[in-house]
Parts: sequence; C-alpha cells; structure tokens
Amino acid sequence: MFCLSEMEDTVRVPPDLLKLPLEVAIKKVLQKLLLNKVLSIGLCVTIYDIKSAEGGFVLPGDGPATYKVRFRIVVFRPFVGEVIAARFKESDSNGLRLTLGFFEDIYVPAPLIPRPNRCEPDPYNRSQMRWVWIFEEQEYIIDHSCQINFRVENISYPPVPTEQAEDAKPFAPMVITGTIDDDGLGPVSWWEGCSERNNEDDDT
Amino acid sequence: MTSVKANAGALTNFEVLDLLNSRGASKDTTRVIASETVSRSEYKVYDYLMETAASTQTRDSVTKFSDKCKGFKLAKAEILNIINLRPSSDVELTPILEKPDEREIDIEGILALVQELLPPLPTVEAHKENEQEETEDGEQPNMETSV
Repeated sequence: MFCLSEMEDTVRVPPDLLKLPLEVAIKKVLQKLLLNKVLSIGLCVTIYDIKSAEGGFVLPGDGPATYKVRFRIVVFRPFVGEVIAARFKESDSNGLRLTLGFFEDIYVPAPLIPRPNRCEPDPYNRSQMRWVWIFEEQEYIIDHSCQINFRVENISYPPVPTEQAEDAKPFAPMVITGTIDDDGLGPVSWWEGCSERNNEDDDT
Repeated sequence: MTSVKANAGALTNFEVLDLLNSRGASKDTTRVIASETVSRSEYKVYDYLMETAASTQTRDSVTKFSDKCKGFKLAKAEILNIINLRPSSDVELTPILEKPDEREIDIEGILALVQELLPPLPTVEAHKENEQEETEDGEQPNMETSV
C-alpha cells in the first residue's frame, strides 16, 4: 500500500524558520508543501527523511534561503491486484464508495459487485441506495457493519478540471477503482465461519 | 520537484505505523502533545493502521515471516499483502494470490506460517450505529513485545 519515493527539489526556507536546526526547518517546509497532497506517484503521507541538503544561498531581493534538497517520502500508492481492508462510506445506483479514513475516493462500480445482486433504496437512509448480493437464496447486504476487503483494479489520476458545475462532487485527484467480486472479497462478515466449513465447497 | 526514484522500496503497513509511532503518534485522544510532530493527516493514516493487523505486529515477527516465505515461491507483492492483511483462512488468502492453482502454492503451509508467526488481528469493538473514535483500550493479552 505504501512505498518510499525519493525526490529532489529546491526548497525555500523562510527566515523565521532559520532559528531551528536546518533539518527540522526543511522538513517543516516540505510538510507544508507535500503532506496530504497527491503527486504523480501517489498520495504523500509523510516525510521519511532528508538525504542531503546543499546550497543555502540567499538570492538577492529574496528573504528565504534556498536549498537543493534530496529527500524521501512515504506515498500511498497501492498496486493493482492488492487486497485492501476498507470501510463502507456510501453507495448509490452506480456502485459503492469505500474509505480508508485518510483516503476516501475508492469506488466499486456496479459491474464489480458480485452477481446476482440487486440495488434497492436504503430503508435506513433515504438518500442512499443499498446493494444486496443474492447467493444460494441468502441475501448478503453491503453496509457499514463491518470491514470490506476489496482488490485494486485500477488507479487513475484525473486531470484537474478547468471548470466545474456548482453541485459537482469535489475534485478527486486520485481515484482507485476496486472490485469485490471474488472469493474472500467484500464485507468480512460474508466469509466468517468459512474456515470452519469443509473445504469441499471452495476449491475453485 | 523531480522524482529521483519513484519506487525506492515498498513498505509494509507495520513499517509505516512504526514510523508514525516513532514520531509520537499515540492512541491518546486529545492528541495535543504530539500535534507538533504529527499532523492531522498523518493521524488519519495512524488511525487506519491501528485497526489493521499492523497494530499488533512486531518488527521481529514481520522479518521472520518474510524470510520464511521465501520457501513458498511467492512474489514480493504477495508477501507484503499477506503481512498487511493477515489472512486467517483459505478464502481470505486466495484473492491475494495470483493464479494459485497453476503455481501449486502450498496454501495450508502459508496459513500455518501466518498463524505461527504473525500476531492475531486487534480486537476492535464492532462499529455499530455510533461509530465512536474511542475504541476499547488496546490492551490485548497476547500482544508480543519485541525483545
């Protein structure tokens, strides 16, 4: 889910931070710049370390000291095929939306929900739709009662839109598409007790 | 900003959690003390990881597990996934593996190794209608402390 990424950048450290040890000051500037932002390589979670910082020149007419910094960050970037534990956020007629707390743009489109299924208006929450999987005449509801495991199908980084309609959803710079249509995926409650059953059913 | 190496190494959830812990993140609900070193967004990651298997793992168990996995012909990404998810049954392990039948993977062996080396998942209070941030204090009797 996470990996280290090495980057290089020119960092301007404002004069008011220069009383701090250099590493701390540079880290503070980098954090403000990168933390919780989506880069081309993923969502930056935290600064791992600073490998080198050189320079420290003050350019004429400019207060901050400029450093050329090499550093490593921890990015959230799941690989395709990875199985991740998430929680249910909301669902509508297009599919489900799951969340990890720190990342909420995980969508499971309707075709990737196990079939046969049906989508019905949620009796507990009138504005939402609820998905139900029908298997061997038993109905399995998808809701927020437990953790949902999903497998990453695709990660996309939509380009920033130049204009947006008033009521459009806030722009998501990183979108993960997942599937729950496989053994062991979907709400964990669906598979609890499976280890107690004989293995004769599930050796597909 | 240039990327020197987009992938300088994959990290298990445990390693990220360990990193945040070393920065001062903790279960303390006020979060005032550590807010100097741990930002709110980092705390969200911390909260997520505390609910996964990573919260009960130790560096020792994770290293031992990945060493022993070498005998099972698994891809590095699969070993990482198993450590992160800690599957306890056949049906939880299968979606992680790619084409398990064609590769003749010893599923029972892997599950036995998981059971033996990786600590069990944290016991979190089932989130019912009120999804409160305060879970039961995380004192699990079978939590291993590294030597």
